[in-house]
Amino acid sequence: MVRLRIGAFVAATAIMFAACGTAASPSPAATSPAASGSTAPESSAPSAEPSAAVKEGGTLVVALPGDITRTDPAMIDDSNSSYVMQNVMEGLLALKPGSTSEILPALAEKWTVSPDGLTYDFNLRQGVKFHDGTDFNADAVVYNYNRWKNFPKELQDYTYYAGAVFGGYGATSNIASVTAKDPATVEIVLKKAQSNFLIAQTLTVFAISSPTALKAGKADNTEKDVSKVTYAQGGTGAMVGTGPFKFKEWVVGDHVTIEKNADYWDKTKIPHVDDVVFKPVAEEAQRVNGLQAGEIDLAQTIAPLDIATIKGDTKLQVIDRGESCNTMQLSMNHKYTPIKNVKIRQAIAAAVNRQALIDAFYAGLATPADNWMPLGTQYAKPLGLPTYDPAAAKQLIADSGETDLSIDFYYPSDVTRPYMPDPKGIFEAISRDLEAVGFKIVPHTETWRPDYLDHEYAGNFEMWLLGWTCDWAGADNFLKTAFFGYVDGKPSTEFAYKNDELEKTMNDALAATDENTAKTLWEHAQDLLKTDLPTVPLINSTPPAAAQAYVKDFVGSGGLNEYLNSVWLDK
Amino acid sequence: MLKYIVRRLLGAIPVLFGLSFVLFAFVHLLPGDPSRAILGQHATPEAVARLRENLGLDQPLYVQYVTYLGQLLRGDFGASIINNRPVLSEFAIRFPATIELTLAALIFAVLVGIPLGRLAARHAQSWIDGGVTVLSLVGISIPVFVLGLVFVHIFAVQLHWLPTQGRLDPRASLDVRTNFMLVDTLLDGRPDLFVDALRHLVLPAIALGSIPLAIIARITRASVLDVTNEDYVRTARAKGLRERRVNDRHIMRNAWLPVVTVIGLQVGGLLGGAVLTETVFTWNGVGRWVVDAIGNRDYFVVQGTVLIFALIFLAVNLVVDIGYAFLNPRIRYS
Repeated sequence: MVRLRIGAFVAATAIMFAACGTAASPSPAATSPAASGSTAPESSAPSAEPSAAVKEGGTLVVALPGDITRTDPAMIDDSNSSYVMQNVMEGLLALKPGSTSEILPALAEKWTVSPDGLTYDFNLRQGVKFHDGTDFNADAVVYNYNRWKNFPKELQDYTYYAGAVFGGYGATSNIASVTAKDPATVEIVLKKAQSNFLIAQTLTVFAISSPTALKAGKADNTEKDVSKVTYAQGGTGAMVGTGPFKFKEWVVGDHVTIEKNADYWDKTKIPHVDDVVFKPVAEEAQRVNGLQAGEIDLAQTIAPLDIATIKGDTKLQVIDRGESCNTMQLSMNHKYTPIKNVKIRQAIAAAVNRQALIDAFYAGLATPADNWMPLGTQYAKPLGLPTYDPAAAKQLIADSGETDLSIDFYYPSDVTRPYMPDPKGIFEAISRDLEAVGFKIVPHTETWRPDYLDHEYAGNFEMWLLGWTCDWAGADNFLKTAFFGYVDGKPSTEFAYKNDELEKTMNDALAATDENTAKTLWEHAQDLLKTDLPTVPLINSTPPAAAQAYVKDFVGSGGLNEYLNSVWLDK
Repeated sequence: MLKYIVRRLLGAIPVLFGLSFVLFAFVHLLPGDPSRAILGQHATPEAVARLRENLGLDQPLYVQYVTYLGQLLRGDFGASIINNRPVLSEFAIRFPATIELTLAALIFAVLVGIPLGRLAARHAQSWIDGGVTVLSLVGISIPVFVLGLVFVHIFAVQLHWLPTQGRLDPRASLDVRTNFMLVDTLLDGRPDLFVDALRHLVLPAIALGSIPLAIIARITRASVLDVTNEDYVRTARAKGLRERRVNDRHIMRNAWLPVVTVIGLQVGGLLGGAVLTETVFTWNGVGRWVVDAIGNRDYFVVQGTVLIFALIFLAVNLVVDIGYAFLNPRIRYS
């Protein structure tokens, strides 16, 4: 899955519900119903509490797993682009660094939501300027939202999130209107309540760009050929936002450089380093080599198996990202026998030794999954899914009545994912577990992209390894978007899992306008899933990062919403 | 000679046509669809269908091929399916990096390989000859990426003598004009960065040059030994010519031909080897670009770059053939 891993947010809906028609509260905490979307003491790009002797200046070199794809936040859907842009661009709201559960005001200082969940009023921060010197105001917000809503058909293939979050484009978009009530207030009216609306506004793809820069870069929806939208292609004047860093240059395939924005509106959060250079380093070994040789300051992602090497080098540090925001599962397609038999699925769940996988492949930075979403996720609850018990697995197989226990099992051959650091090794370990209880595994492998994803989506696989890294830590993002939501009103070809009650429950939960109803519905959805066990959740992990020991005050996040303005170099 | 060159150039046209067809068929017969690569895991079938239509992938293959040929004839190599940038301009940006690397590797292979070959020939059947043979076998046998990673570990990570990857210190600021780092650093008046660029070039060039070096050393040795046993060499020595003159005028002048042929052929091998070397050393050249493009089923990038590589290979072969005439007056083309 290449979609953004922008951030995790547990109580977005709580915020919306709590804020409905209420006055602002000074607390930004979102986990309590008393919290509201309101004035808060922190900005969108806050730093950790600075250490006593912060040193200013220097260049921070960050190794990313790959290059960015475009320089227009609305036209990206990959984590590398997002990782860079979240330091340059800001939206109305943001996630607190290091947290997967707290939302912060960003360009909107506070907001209110109508009791019917349809009207959102955002009060905007005053005195903010874009990096090109133009004013940030309500007109700029309206311009951006209307642009996203009205992307021409030719560009819609590159704007996944605008279509996915707002339910389509133009007349089919869930946004009814976006209006500047005055220079400091924007009103967004939805056609139907959408409880993930607020959290979605924290995604980097919904960062506000300078309208002047958008027009100059042909990103005003008049140019329909994406290759000529220079705002998206790294041309001069691309990536013009309001963030603590400014875009400097993108040498395709080689590096992206951003530089300190000394005029950042929050004077307490001006970056300590002068520049950040992002280098795409695809080879995991070379990220570690670069760290050891002192050429790389921070490797955004390292393989768990490299942790021992990093820990053995006193010049380096491992960065633990804390809360997980991903799930790896044994995906299953219900059109195949014996997978369609629930007892067989339960037997598989009981046959797999999750802790052994964690010890062997995740360097301990993971926990066995007991849900289809990490338990820190909004509305997630422990489900008591089957745990490792080979004897129980054998009994379930016997009870299933199935005689042909042959299963075609797939894994991707040429990729690692944050939730799946060693697909082949994990595949082999699981296969051994399954064969130990009597299954006959027929191994298959395909290249990750496009073959593997194409074929699993088309329903060609019986059982396969796949997972999901969150866009936000909401039940809807895991249960509906990632896994079991219907496609065009029908069960997805991917899982062929038909459960109309689950589908209706999830849709009702997404449209709920009070927290209790939403909570009840999402918990019911989880109960339905527990009964059917349509797939087998395996592991929730946090992908590790590593840095030089002199890199200080970096705040890691399980959702990778990591802001580099807090970082300084102690050298 | 001019007629010969024109004939060779004309002869390249059907070769390129054939190659374009084979490439097109090869790339399109690969399983998978770039639409899914672009749109990701949860794209709807409608979105995939719309993108296929936008990219022209819904057309029959022969229509796509004819359209592609038409584009080629207009000098249009298409655009990357993934980021929509024109293949030719992207190629032009990255190619200097690949040239710099392959040239450095070739220079290394020639400067070390030929003397090694001559040394082995002069001391044929001795321990020196045996040592060169072993070295050659090792050079040929070890895959470039393995050699690259071993070099990085020893010379960069452990000894800190050389950098692990890239073309320049990422903290350095340089006005890139030609994208040849060695040239740009000089144009920018930065001898310090020139040295830095040179240091970045050393390990990848040695890794990439290891196989050609081994081959060149072997061929040089064999060729020198062949010529050494010729009558005219014996005659030259019998006439009392100094050994150095015998070596330069009688042996090497005649031993060059197969060596030059092999050097020419190595250019193709180097371009192929650059694919792996650039990936290992995070070298932002065409090779690394092609690897990514194959993974993404980025049809136009794969087709375009391989075609351009083929053109270069044909051109190099032509230059090598002309080089024969220069080196050996007995060869005349008509």
